[in-house]
Amino acid sequence: MTRYAMVTDLRKCVACQACTASCNAEWEVPAGLSRTQIRKTPIKGTFPKLVAGTLVAQCAHCDDAPCVPACPSAATSKDAKGIVQVNRDVCIGCGFCVEACPYEARFINPVIKKVDKCDFCSPRLERGQLPACVTTCPANAKFFGDLDDRNSEVFRMVFSEGASRRDTPEIAVGPNVYYLGKREQVDLVMASYPPRPPKLPVAGVLWERAAKPLVIGAVAMTFLGQAAAFFQQLRIGEKEHED
Amino acid sequence: MKTSAIPTHPLPLTAEQAEAMEQRHIKKHHIAIMLLHWFNAMVWGLELMTGLALVSSPHFRVVPMWFLELVEGLFGPRSNLLRAHLTVGMVWIVVFLAYGLFGGKTYLTKEVLQKEIALDRDDFQWLRIRVLGILGRSKEPLPPQGIYNAGQKLFALMVYAMLPIIMLTGLIMAFHLFGTAAVGWAVLIHFVTVGVVVCGLIVHVYMGAVFPEEKPAFFSMITGTVNELFAYSHHFKWWREVKLEDEIWLHQRRSSEDAVPPARGGSDPGQNTVG
Amino acid sequence: MKRTITRRGFMGSVGVASVAGLTGMARPLKAQAHPTGWRGTRRVKKIATICEMCFWRCGVLASVADGKVLRVEGNPDHPMTQGRLCARGNAGTGLLYDRDRLKWPLMRVGKRGEGVFKRVSWDEALDFLANKLKNLKQEHGPESVAFFPHGVSASFFHTLMKAYGTPNSAEPAFAQCRGPREVGYALTFGKGLGSPEPVDLEEAKLVVLIGSHLGENVFTSQITAFAKGLARGAKLVVVDPRFSTAAEKADWWLPIRPGTDLALLLAWIHVLIAEGLYDQDYIRKYAEGFAELAAHVETFTPEWAEEITQLPAAQIRDTARAMGQAKPAVVVHPGRHVTWYGDDTQRSRAMAILTALLGSYGRKGGIFLSTSIPRGGFEVPDFPESERGRADGAGTKFPLGSKDLGITNGLVDATVSSQPYPIKAWIVYGQNVLQSIPQPERTLKAIESLDLLVVVDVMPVDQVLYADLVLPEATYLERYDAPTIAETAKEPFIAVRFPACDPMYESKPGWWIAKQLAARLGLEAFFPWASPEEHLAGITEPMELNLAELRTRGAHKFPGRPYLEDRVAAGEPLFETENGKIHLYSKKLKELGFDPLPRYTPVEDPPKGFFRLIYGRAPVHSFARTENNEMLHGLMPENEVWLAAQAAQALGLKDGEKVVLENADGTKSLPIRLKVTEGIRSDCAYVVHGFGQRSRLLTRAGGKGASDTDLMSRVKVDPLMGGTGMRVNFVRPLALANQN
Repeated sequence: MTRYAMVTDLRKCVACQACTASCNAEWEVPAGLSRTQIRKTPIKGTFPKLVAGTLVAQCAHCDDAPCVPACPSAATSKDAKGIVQVNRDVCIGCGFCVEACPYEARFINPVIKKVDKCDFCSPRLERGQLPACVTTCPANAKFFGDLDDRNSEVFRMVFSEGASRRDTPEIAVGPNVYYLGKREQVDLVMASYPPRPPKLPVAGVLWERAAKPLVIGAVAMTFLGQAAAFFQQLRIGEKEHED
Repeated sequence: MKTSAIPTHPLPLTAEQAEAMEQRHIKKHHIAIMLLHWFNAMVWGLELMTGLALVSSPHFRVVPMWFLELVEGLFGPRSNLLRAHLTVGMVWIVVFLAYGLFGGKTYLTKEVLQKEIALDRDDFQWLRIRVLGILGRSKEPLPPQGIYNAGQKLFALMVYAMLPIIMLTGLIMAFHLFGTAAVGWAVLIHFVTVGVVVCGLIVHVYMGAVFPEEKPAFFSMITGTVNELFAYSHHFKWWREVKLEDEIWLHQRRSSEDAVPPARGGSDPGQNTVG
Repeated sequence: MKRTITRRGFMGSVGVASVAGLTGMARPLKAQAHPTGWRGTRRVKKIATICEMCFWRCGVLASVADGKVLRVEGNPDHPMTQGRLCARGNAGTGLLYDRDRLKWPLMRVGKRGEGVFKRVSWDEALDFLANKLKNLKQEHGPESVAFFPHGVSASFFHTLMKAYGTPNSAEPAFAQCRGPREVGYALTFGKGLGSPEPVDLEEAKLVVLIGSHLGENVFTSQITAFAKGLARGAKLVVVDPRFSTAAEKADWWLPIRPGTDLALLLAWIHVLIAEGLYDQDYIRKYAEGFAELAAHVETFTPEWAEEITQLPAAQIRDTARAMGQAKPAVVVHPGRHVTWYGDDTQRSRAMAILTALLGSYGRKGGIFLSTSIPRGGFEVPDFPESERGRADGAGTKFPLGSKDLGITNGLVDATVSSQPYPIKAWIVYGQNVLQSIPQPERTLKAIESLDLLVVVDVMPVDQVLYADLVLPEATYLERYDAPTIAETAKEPFIAVRFPACDPMYESKPGWWIAKQLAARLGLEAFFPWASPEEHLAGITEPMELNLAELRTRGAHKFPGRPYLEDRVAAGEPLFETENGKIHLYSKKLKELGFDPLPRYTPVEDPPKGFFRLIYGRAPVHSFARTENNEMLHGLMPENEVWLAAQAAQALGLKDGEKVVLENADGTKSLPIRLKVTEGIRSDCAYVVHGFGQRSRLLTRAGGKGASDTDLMSRVKVDPLMGGTGMRVNFVRPLALANQN
């Protein structure tokens, strides 16, 4: 089994956004949008006792990814290596998954009008290359590998060095993007950017809660009505109708 | 002829009359309409099948998994499924646009629409008695109906209302029009409107294909004609219209030239008078 | 008589530039020019070349298909950057396909500043310029033409201007950037540091950043080493009035009162000496003037410095002791843009002295030494000697001013005052003089007095609007440039910029423009090579290189001799001073009438209601030249002004609100968003440099954010070398609502 994961060492990361730019160039993400972003936390504390940190955000390829069921057409799915993939041929850009993502990692690409997000550079992985954000990182702060491989760097960082991930007791969907760093900085980053509850947009909620039962109900009732009529017809026989 | 011999309301028929009328056929549908009907039926079959299979999310899925697998087995990967749904949908829209464009003057006139979808007092009465009748709760005679009965009108009305919505929401989804939120709402509306039509379709299919009384109507969509007895008993108002038209036409013909009128609908004006 | 052009002649400006902001080139992504879906079937060729999104010159690979550059990424074979590349480098195609690029030669038809031009042919343009230059030479002498270059491709123009006979060439790299550092370290160790800075960050046990904001200031390989050092456990001292990205990582953050760094440095030196924490062997063996230094700093105690710097004495003492413990593996980062307060050479001297006391110069984990590489040249005539000498005061008014890099503000002053003689024409090459040189209103006044302003650039930067003639240069992806020979890298290397595609529109490479002009001016003899290939072959001749391999890999490295022991082994002199010693006490300064040992001079406090304007960089922009790049504009479309929460509250200003900055002379900036934060001292305001450009021909960057340069109506000129101290301006934020 393969379970890919990304670890960012926040002690090294300088928030230079090379990852974002490299990713944008690699995947032709329109200017102003990105599959991976650098977010700087507000500076906390009182001058001069301050702390601040950096979040390197991207799709977390969650074990229990809420975006997968949110996609009406199964354009989003999790592949055998743990990567959450988007099949652009099936995506219609309804945006349900965008709201379902606890990490705001998805967006609608205005050029292709379909959802866009990090796929751990799957096509590069297939060619034997590392993700574009990893190879470009000037600080060499990003590490990519297989959590099921006990000899991998990421295994060590996650299981021996105790890398953190963005989850809370309420929202624990098994993200596979981890952060290493000074405790207080990692804590601040985790506290500043907690996962948001996965949810559906209003249209989706109405669909699930109201439209789906109503339509099923109405179709079933109609069908049953007709079935009743049919049995009635059988009972009284065709003759009578023919008069 | 000063006054018409054509009755103004249905009168009981003798067995001979009925038999004779059953032998005579009146043209009901133009070939184009029949083709359109069956094209439409095919589209609905395909679109329902692919559309239902496309909705695979556990949140929204309405069909069992085996159905999804079956359809995927038929169409191949899910991308084909969407492609098929979109292609058929686009063809459908194009055909309907062509129909509106080229047949609009003929078929979408106020008169035609009035006949097809406008419900009158008789129609409401008909609906009540029909439903109760089917359920065996009423023996009342059905009020006379035009070329389409109230049930058909009601279905047509619903279809006319829903089609543009289904098409528009389909286009919004296919081409990502008006932004992401619009697409999200379009998915919902598409689903609901199709649901409404499906309810209608169930009745329509039952009445057309299963319900014995309306069998001639079903075959009329294949042959284009109904026998006069069926027209007389189920669509009296229309039958009368046809007869009146024939009478006028014949009258004009007779007064203008001394020629033998060609038989129309297999009938002879002399035989128009029943009872 | 013939002679060989020295490295300087061709290399001109190896490592140029600074926070001060030289503009020149900006560039973005034209969506339609960047074909989508190319990663499928098309044959993609990778061409190794050198980045020029900033001046660091990282190795890049350009993916090219059908003559289009699809992607620029790091070149793993490059010895310095090894495939790593910053945001700007990754956005290289954004420059190439910028819709606003200068596309063909333009001649002004409107008034200066209107930006109304007619398109002309290259022949017309070059004939016009050659005639003008001939006439100017005849009427006013060749010195009446001043040259403002930046970038590698300007090296060919450097040769041209010298051959033409004007000594008046000046890059902001000196007087607005690293000049004081080069002078200060040369006075101490015999040689300036050069670029890239030879700082052994990856091996350091302690890194001291004084005003350097590594991380926001990104040079890829320096960041790689910095991060590696931190991961290996290096301690970090950050001296900055602002809680920078580097400060976030610091073990000690010293939010110093702006302008008092020299007092802190003197106190550190005091502690090192008083507590015997300096490298006594090293000083005894290599340095002279220790006794004078010890006596000089005797009274500069941490307590003395606390009064001035507003940093706790204990913190000063702690950090000095940490340095003493980590020595010699201590990088006291010399900084890059260091023209701050007019005492900058002396401050750099203090940093050099501190480095010497820690025994860090030439030691592992400190400052490493450069390694010279043999290089070839061409048989060319001697450059004509100027009778009237330089107009910028380098070597005269400013005795330590660089005659290679020049003093930009000196040329502006000479143009405005016609002293020592009139300057009639400017050729501005690859920089935005209205953003790079402070007192832009004075620069404009100079421009208005000119007979001729020629701008050679890629983008329609601010002064293009005032140009009489505009020559469109090809971008770095479309041209060959003189090879980069990096002697200050730990492992020195040569790297070459090879064109990845043909020049777009009618743009031309710098070497072509220079050669064409030379031919028209009868100066062909200074360009005795016919093609880039011939030029490269000439330069690399003694290096015994396989040029085909150089072309594939993009670079070639040589063994380095970075530490003192390497020099001992090679039998080379350790320090390049006349007597081979480190000069803690500078007799040369004494002779010139300056303080032989650095001395703190008090800085003024901001007037009531004003804040000291400090400025810096963002990791996604270079100077004022990348703001129009579609991709980088997307990452950071405008700058913001940092203000302490306490100060903002007192003024009733809110975070995110738009304000106008007004300086103490009443100059106002364009509107800028306010960032209210705890992360800055309450006596200063901070902005990122490079925004607030006025050129409306820059359709993305024009008018976005505020320009710090616009607010620099005052400078404090360093009397030693002529650099402009630029952190001497005071601003106050005015709510935008009150401005309308």
